Amino acid sequence: MNVVKFFADSFLYSSPILLCTLGGLFAYRCRIVNIGLEGMMYFGGLASVLGIYLTRSPLLGILCGFLISYGVGWLFAYFSVTKKANFIITGLGINMLAAAVGRYLLAEMRITNINLIHIEVLLDQSIRLPVIDSIPILGEIVSRQTGFTYFAFLSIFLVRLLLYNTRFGVYVRMSGDNEASGRSVGIDTIKVKYAALILGAVFCGFAGYNVAVEQLTSFTPTFTAGIGFIAIAAIYCGDGKPVRCGLYALLFGAAKSLAVNLGVHFGTIAILLNMIPYLTIVLALFVVSGTSHAKTNHRGILSV
Amino acid sequence: MVKKTPRNITPALSSVINAFVPVLAAFGIGAVVIALAGKNPLETYWILFRQSLFSFQGLMKTLHYASPLLLTGFAIAVTFKAGVFNMGVEGQLLVGGFAAAICGTAFSSLPAPILIVLCLTAGVVCGMAAAILPALLRAFYNVNELVVTLLLNYAVFIFLEYLTSGPFRDAGAAHVSTHMVPDGAIFSRFGSSRITLFSILVAAVFGVMYILFNRSKLGYEIEAIGKNPNFAEAAGMNVRRKIIVIMTISGALSGFAGAGWLLSEKYVYTLTFSDGVGLGWDGMLIALLGVNNPVGILVSAMFYATLKVGVQYVSVFTEVPSEIVGLIQAMIVLFLSLKVIRSRQSPLYKKLDRLLCRRGSRNPS
Repeated sequence: MNVVKFFADSFLYSSPILLCTLGGLFAYRCRIVNIGLEGMMYFGGLASVLGIYLTRSPLLGILCGFLISYGVGWLFAYFSVTKKANFIITGLGINMLAAAVGRYLLAEMRITNINLIHIEVLLDQSIRLPVIDSIPILGEIVSRQTGFTYFAFLSIFLVRLLLYNTRFGVYVRMSGDNEASGRSVGIDTIKVKYAALILGAVFCGFAGYNVAVEQLTSFTPTFTAGIGFIAIAAIYCGDGKPVRCGLYALLFGAAKSLAVNLGVHFGTIAILLNMIPYLTIVLALFVVSGTSHAKTNHRGILSV
Repeated sequence: MVKKTPRNITPALSSVINAFVPVLAAFGIGAVVIALAGKNPLETYWILFRQSLFSFQGLMKTLHYASPLLLTGFAIAVTFKAGVFNMGVEGQLLVGGFAAAICGTAFSSLPAPILIVLCLTAGVVCGMAAAILPALLRAFYNVNELVVTLLLNYAVFIFLEYLTSGPFRDAGAAHVSTHMVPDGAIFSRFGSSRITLFSILVAAVFGVMYILFNRSKLGYEIEAIGKNPNFAEAAGMNVRRKIIVIMTISGALSGFAGAGWLLSEKYVYTLTFSDGVGLGWDGMLIALLGVNNPVGILVSAMFYATLKVGVQYVSVFTEVPSEIVGLIQAMIVLFLSLKVIRSRQSPLYKKLDRLLCRRGSRNPS
């Protein structure tokens, strides 16, 4: 196995998981379980690809993805906060709706995927970092990634800053930890939850752009491949703490990279290797929950 | 003389309203989408329901399609009602189907009835086995079963993909698939209709589940755990053990659905065994629409099977792509999360109650 490629791919596969994780943890900190990350990412990717397909401009593609994911985030917030809907069902509904809209659009257009290969601007989207690129091995791993991959890793620190060093972050944590006292000092917790959910949705939309435009350069009906669900696992494992969640997202991305890079060497057994990421996640969830909850006296008290 | 007070039907009526409004809203938006694409929504909807409900063959086909859906609906409902989320019904169904396929080819020399029973048992046992891991993790280590079951679906699919394209592949088939089950393992059709013995078995399962939900100790415990697990625990129920039992029942139903669907419709396990959105996911819609109530689940399984059968005609007779049903289905789930009448305190419920009980003495205003 090519070790350098393994590490480079780890960055590649981690970045969408990271974006979804970091976006989703705002809702987690507000005590809203957002199962809809997958769907929000799907909508973002679909809108971006459609935007680029129609206008041939990546910037407008990002804008489309941003607007649509903003809208979906607002919809989720309207349902779960204002209308007090069962947010698990809302989230599942959004996931189903995203996939259904994608499949319906493709059927109406009479194509099986929206391909962007022919657009010249997208031929080489990797950005070379000035100094690091010339360092032998590190350059090959870290440099030559795409824009949103860098953004994803930068976001770990941005989100940390936002959550712990700004007023908004305090409000978000407040509305999760103790909503009543937040209200008593005059914080509009409803508005805070809206902001947290919409911010999360926009991050997921960027993750969609990252996968659909930067990695695959096309829209296929199953391009999200459970990344949103993996992100939820990362949020649970890291208990909503940005750096810790980020590390879990990296671990899961590395597991995916391992599966892909090992798979080159085997025949049919390579299919089995694709199970590595999912089994890693279940193991991580088991270790984290097992160590933190095993000592309680409750017998299977529900946590949702 | 003591006058018998009429039974209060407001709760039942409000859950019917809660189910109907989302369906109507979803069909409404679906109509707008069809109209925007320049086609006639009314004609489309008429075709959707005409064939699948108003012809004998179509109705039998609908019943045939409803059979696995009823099972997956119950598989989801039994867990949702207890506040446990088994999102792995899809994966457990695939395991059940695969097990039945392998069992059928492995023991093809056995006489027909024994072989069928063996295949079904294999499906049920494997479905249970697939559900037991998340159940144990949930009960003993408090690992979130929602996330684990969601992710295990992917793992299960990949594992079966390996088995189907590796050790158990039918080398003669054009697509990746297992060997066809022998004739002795197949549920034969009744006359010219699509219906098989599987549907009868499902009807029996429905009876068992009806009793389980409404008349049994376990049903009561499921409801108690769903309403307040802490109270259930304090009242002396072993919540941990019950969660394992509930998840196992759910897995067994899913596995049975998969095995039955294989023996009555597909006959081979392919990578698109649970095609489209997936029978397990459909089960979620059915459980939600039927508000975890046996009769509700029966009605919504029939409703959804109607859509599934009808849409095959839609794509034949009109220009509307069959994916429209997926769109409507997703919107139903989305709108179902918004309950129109949320509780007995909501203004609409009170209005309804006043309207229905005007003659009664309970509500003097």
